[in-house]
Amino acid sequence: MKVYLRKAISMLLTLLAVSFIVFAAFEIIPGDAASSRLGSNATQASVEALRHEMGLDRPFLLRYFSWLGGCFRGNLGTSYSYHMPVAGMILEKIPITVTLTILSMLLTMAVSVPLALLSAKYANSRLDRAVYAGNQFLMAVPSFFLGILMTWVFGMVLRWFKPGGYVSYKKDFGAFLGYLILPSVAIAIPKCAMSVKLLRSAILSEANRDYVRTAYSRGLSTMEVLYRHVLKNALMPLITFWGMAVADMIAGSIVVEQVFNIPGLGRILLTSIANRDYPVVEAVILLIAAVVLLMNLLVDLLYRRIDPRLRAE
Amino acid sequence: MKKYRNFNFICGAVLTGFCLLIVLTGLIRTPYDTTAMSVADRLSAPSFAHWMGCDNYGRDILSRVMEGMRNTVWIALLTVAIGTLSGVVIGAVCGYFGGLLDDILMRVNDVLFSFPSILLALVIISLLGTGSLNVTLALGIAFIPSFARIVRSEVKKQSALEYVESARLMGAGHLRVIFVHILPNILPVLLSSVMIGFNNAVLAEAGLSYLGVGVQPPQASLGRMLSEAQSYLFTAPWYAIFPGLMIVLMVLGFALLAEGMTEA
Repeated sequence: MKVYLRKAISMLLTLLAVSFIVFAAFEIIPGDAASSRLGSNATQASVEALRHEMGLDRPFLLRYFSWLGGCFRGNLGTSYSYHMPVAGMILEKIPITVTLTILSMLLTMAVSVPLALLSAKYANSRLDRAVYAGNQFLMAVPSFFLGILMTWVFGMVLRWFKPGGYVSYKKDFGAFLGYLILPSVAIAIPKCAMSVKLLRSAILSEANRDYVRTAYSRGLSTMEVLYRHVLKNALMPLITFWGMAVADMIAGSIVVEQVFNIPGLGRILLTSIANRDYPVVEAVILLIAAVVLLMNLLVDLLYRRIDPRLRAE
Repeated sequence: MKKYRNFNFICGAVLTGFCLLIVLTGLIRTPYDTTAMSVADRLSAPSFAHWMGCDNYGRDILSRVMEGMRNTVWIALLTVAIGTLSGVVIGAVCGYFGGLLDDILMRVNDVLFSFPSILLALVIISLLGTGSLNVTLALGIAFIPSFARIVRSEVKKQSALEYVESARLMGAGHLRVIFVHILPNILPVLLSSVMIGFNNAVLAEAGLSYLGVGVQPPQASLGRMLSEAQSYLFTAPWYAIFPGLMIVLMVLGFALLAEGMTEA
C-alpha cells in the first residue's frame, strides 16, 4: 500500500512540474496574447488596457499560482479566441477522443493476441511468414494514410459510409460509434502489427523455458500450456507496450481526427495552436500529460498484480 | 563488415536504394518544374507524359513527389542528427557521472519520453511557429529523450566494466574515457536506434506536414500533398495514393534494412 501511495505522490509532483514547464514555456515566447489579439496597428494604450484586463501585467509567479489554483477548482481559464471557459470547451471534446482511443485499444488487443498465438503456435509455417510479412508492411503505413485509403475504398468506391458524416455523441450514440469504427481501425492497425510482432517473439522465447517442459511432462496439451503458462509470462512486455501505445493513440487520433473530420481534442488543439490561443493549448497539453502519467502508474500497478516477484520488494 | 545475406536485408536494401535513386535524381532534375501549373492537365490521370498524374493546379505529381521526398529525407536526417548528438551528450554525462544531475535530468526525460514525439513536436511548434526549419528543430528536440535514455543505460553498463577503470588508472580524463573508450562500444546499439529514429522522423514529419504545420507551400511535401489530395479523392485518387505509397516504401525499406542488420 505504501508503494502505491509513494508512486501516486511522485506522479502528482511530476504533473506539477509539467504544469510549470508548460506555463513557463508559453511565457518566454515573444509577443504576448494581448498584442497578438489586437493586431499590429493597435495603440500602446489599448494593448496596455487589454493586458491589464487579461491580467497579463501581474508578475509571472503570481499568474502561475492563480492559474494552478484555478486548475484545481476546474477553472482552466478563458479562451482568447472564443471567450468561453476552456474547461467547458475541452470537456465537450473529451468523450470523442476517449471513445476513439478506447475503441482502437480494444481492437488492438482483440486482434493481436489471437494472431500472435496462432503465429507462434505454427512458427515458421506459411501462415507465420504471411503474418510476419503483413506486420512488416503495416508497421510502415502511417495511420493517416490508412485513413485516407479507407475513406476512398469504403466511403467512395464501396459507399459503405458517408465521408465526413460525423454524428455527435449527444445526438445518436450508435451512429457516433459507427462513424468512429474506421478511424479507430486506422489508428489500431500499426499498433496491432507491432503488438503481434512483440507477443510472438515473447511467446517463442518463453517456449524454451524449463517450466514449459515441466508443464508438458505433466501431460498438458499444447493449448493448455500456451494459455495457462506461456501467455501469462509473454504478456508482460506487451503490457508496457500497450501502456505507451495509449499515449501514441491519443497522438495518432489528433491526426486521424483530421482525416475523418471529427471535432475531437485534436481539432481543438490544432485550431488553438493556429490561433495562438494559449490557455486552450496549455489545458489540452496538461490533460494529455495527466493521462500519460496515469497510464504509466497503471502499468506499474498492473505489473505488481501480475508478477508476485515485484510485490516482494 | 559482415555480409548480410538474409531476405529482410536484401528487400530493405533494394527498397532503400530505389528511394535513394528517386531522391538523388530529384536533386539533379525533375521531369517537370515542381511549381509549373497547367490548366489543361488539372487532375489528369497517370499517363506516359505524367507518370503519377497531375494535381489540382496541373502540376506534375511525380516531380512534386521527388521534391517532397528530398525535403522529408533532409528533415529526417537533421532531426536524427540533433536528437542523436544531444542525446549522446546528455545520456553519456548522466550515465557516466550519475548523481543528482542524473536524477533530475532523467526524471524530466522520463516524462518527455512517455510523451508521443509528434505531440511534443506540436507543442514546440506552437511556441516556435510553423515552417520546415522549426519542424526540424521541434522534432529534433522531441527525439532527444529517447536517444538520451538508450545512451545513458548503455554508458552506465559500460562504465562498470574493467576497461574503463584501467583507462582511468592510465590517467585518461573523464571526457576521454567517455568519448574515446566507451562510445565506440555502444555504437552498434546506437546505430540501430538511429535507424529506427530515422523512420519515426519520416513518419512524424509526414504527419506534421499533413496537419499543415510542416513544410510550407509552394515547397512540396508528401504529407501536405496527402491533405490536399483528400479534397479530390473521388475524382483523382492517384493524387493521394502515390505520395502515400512513397512514404510507405521509404519507411518499409529502412525498417527492413534495420531488421536485417540486427538479425545478421
